Amino acid sequence: MPGTTAIPEIEIVIEDMGGGGGGGEPPAGGDDGGGGDDDRRRRKKSPSPKRYSTAITLGLVSILMFFMALASAFIVLRRSSELWVAFHLPPILWLNTVILLASSFTLEAARRKLSDSNAAGFRKLWLLTTALGLLFVAGQLVAWRQLVAQGVFIASNQASSFFYIFTGAHAIHLLGGVGALLYVSIRKLDTTRISLSTAAEITSYYWHFMDGLWVFLLALLYLGK
Amino acid sequence: MASHDHSANPPEPPLPSFLARTLFSTDHKVIGLNYLWLALFSVFLGLAMSLLMRIHIVWPGIRLPFLTGVGFSLERYAALTTFHGSLMVFLVLTAAPQAGFGNYFLPLHIGAREMAFPKLNWLAFWSTAASLLGLTAAFLAAPKTGVTLWIVSVALFCAASLLNGLNFSVTTIDLRAKGMTLPRLPLTVWAWFINGILSTLIFSILLAASVCLLSDRLASTHFFPVFSFLSSQPANLAANTLPVLWQRLFWFFSQAEVYIAMLPCFGLVTHLISTFSRKPVWMERLVVLALCAVGLSGFCVWGQHMFASGMNPFSPLVFSLLASSLGLPAAILLISWLGTLWNARVQLNTSMLFAIGFVSLFMAGGLSGIFLARRDLASAAVSDDFITGHFHLVMGVAATFAILGALFFWFPKLFGRRLNESLGKLHFWLTFAGVYLVFMPMHWLGLLTHANLYSGSRLAAIAALVAPVRTFITVAAILMVFAQGIFLFNFLWSLFRGEKVDEPNPWRATTLEWSVSSPPPADDFGATDPVVYRGAYEFSVPGLADDFVPQHLAPDRVVKSR
Repeated sequence: MPGTTAIPEIEIVIEDMGGGGGGGEPPAGGDDGGGGDDDRRRRKKSPSPKRYSTAITLGLVSILMFFMALASAFIVLRRSSELWVAFHLPPILWLNTVILLASSFTLEAARRKLSDSNAAGFRKLWLLTTALGLLFVAGQLVAWRQLVAQGVFIASNQASSFFYIFTGAHAIHLLGGVGALLYVSIRKLDTTRISLSTAAEITSYYWHFMDGLWVFLLALLYLGK
Repeated sequence: MASHDHSANPPEPPLPSFLARTLFSTDHKVIGLNYLWLALFSVFLGLAMSLLMRIHIVWPGIRLPFLTGVGFSLERYAALTTFHGSLMVFLVLTAAPQAGFGNYFLPLHIGAREMAFPKLNWLAFWSTAASLLGLTAAFLAAPKTGVTLWIVSVALFCAASLLNGLNFSVTTIDLRAKGMTLPRLPLTVWAWFINGILSTLIFSILLAASVCLLSDRLASTHFFPVFSFLSSQPANLAANTLPVLWQRLFWFFSQAEVYIAMLPCFGLVTHLISTFSRKPVWMERLVVLALCAVGLSGFCVWGQHMFASGMNPFSPLVFSLLASSLGLPAAILLISWLGTLWNARVQLNTSMLFAIGFVSLFMAGGLSGIFLARRDLASAAVSDDFITGHFHLVMGVAATFAILGALFFWFPKLFGRRLNESLGKLHFWLTFAGVYLVFMPMHWLGLLTHANLYSGSRLAAIAALVAPVRTFITVAAILMVFAQGIFLFNFLWSLFRGEKVDEPNPWRATTLEWSVSSPPPADDFGATDPVVYRGAYEFSVPGLADDFVPQHLAPDRVVKSR
């Protein structure tokens, strides 16, 4: 049953995003639409589009807590542990970092194209961002391979465990972002322009956050080894 | 699209199949009820487990399933304790007041027609159900795999609660009806909302901890070196590592639940006390602040401990901090409850009895909590009888009372029938007496053994004192568990045969859910969207004909008294 209802519901939400995008008023003001037949009307307007930006904000705070908890374990164990053996970070990480930072810029450029209603330019830059994101994940895998070749495994010592856990958890979260990028790019462009901009905006929050998070994790791993 | 247009027709579309209406529905009411069923199942399973433990403590000779006979070890007893605790803490105390009642009544309270993300909600419910299966399997499996499975199940539960918390917060922020400003929110909604935000913070930390724990067990990393911890323990504990492992893991995960489970209960009890006292909540604003403070201080104290120890499940526990951090906000709540009750025309129905029972248990637990603020006592041992008694009284039983009070209150809305009042009152008094008879001697037992342990007096003399008390506790526990049969009978009987409630608002309550039929229609509010004109606790307003003014009643329709 959920399989069959999923598509119409999503499309209704998309239509809705356009309508409610302008109102900065509290949610109480959401029901200004007057007519229409009962059930359809309710489904069209009841989920306020603001819920997506609220949810992504809370979700990011929650993800931040996840990584902060890991970071606290990192700091505490580094101070107290006898099992801590420092190792050199693979140099490819710096290249990966540059790639990820670049992807944030292409993402912003894409959004600018979208607001200039340049659909083709948006699409190109958006896909470039997606490709850069995938390239970053591939680069992380290469870094893992290099460490394995050096004989540094996840269970080798606590420092290496943290390296794999941090990079792995970040990569999984980033792949979620890649999924969102793909989702936005695959969707039809024509009538849903404004909703597309909302979706792009929300994706961009997540993407930039992942970007900043990676810089933080890298600094932690680099300074804390 | 076509399928959507079908379902949009005002005359009810052909009913979907039973499975589509129950298991696969994303309707917040169905999901809320599913959580309640899950909690009902878990609470009776958990009660059965506690009986096994009590009987084993007093009469170790009796053959019991899981605990005696071939393959019995101390580990099995520890696993049983953990199973009982996980069922009660995760699937009853956390799931029922927040996810169960919250899912059902949060949208109805605030005039929304659904949760912000119905599909996430569905996913969260089924993850919770899967974690129940996992916890059960973990108990039945061999110890080593059992521990791993237990951590996986708890991680799944944390993920589900995270989704729930997100859903609750976003729904409260963005889906309120016209006129439902923040000061007009019922206190139940405040509690669910604060708890939702707290859940998104706390459960992601616990999730991170379970990732590390799982990596330790599956990828043989050394985040939390169990064995260095165990070797630092006294020899008698290190001899049997698995029981200690079970115990530590359980307390590690359930420490945070103290706040998560209690917050919605505070909201529920405040709501019930105001409604059945026919008086506004005394110092309503301050109560909201106190609820915020419970969430904030709970997170700060617990979070500080988590971060300072690097989330290590084997670091020393800090019950004293937990107990003392609730001090001021808890005092404010207590004063507000008593102030609301003061000089009120109290309607002592079963729901109200349970709410007042909650207050009584909370006071008793709070008093014993003062002892825990003393570090030397708190650090004694987590399995200490005193802590067991305290924890059960203030968290376990008090929260259960709030859940039961809410159930008696909302049963007419949920099912269109009433629970039987006479049976309800009988059940209340038996349970009320029972919990004091079980858990108060436990406090005493803990203090007794503790005092004697330090003064070094003769063990034989203590044993002679302790044994009859233990037997007494067990007998009281057995009687109390059987008293729960009255509730189960009342529940099932009323579900089908209970007195029908025809009016939408049998309790003459003010909030929005009472403006719709019982049970509420599929889209909650019918054709017109609800509009809110006033706060949630306008009881006994002078100069009006009725002693309550519903939130949705337009100002020109409020009847003045002559």
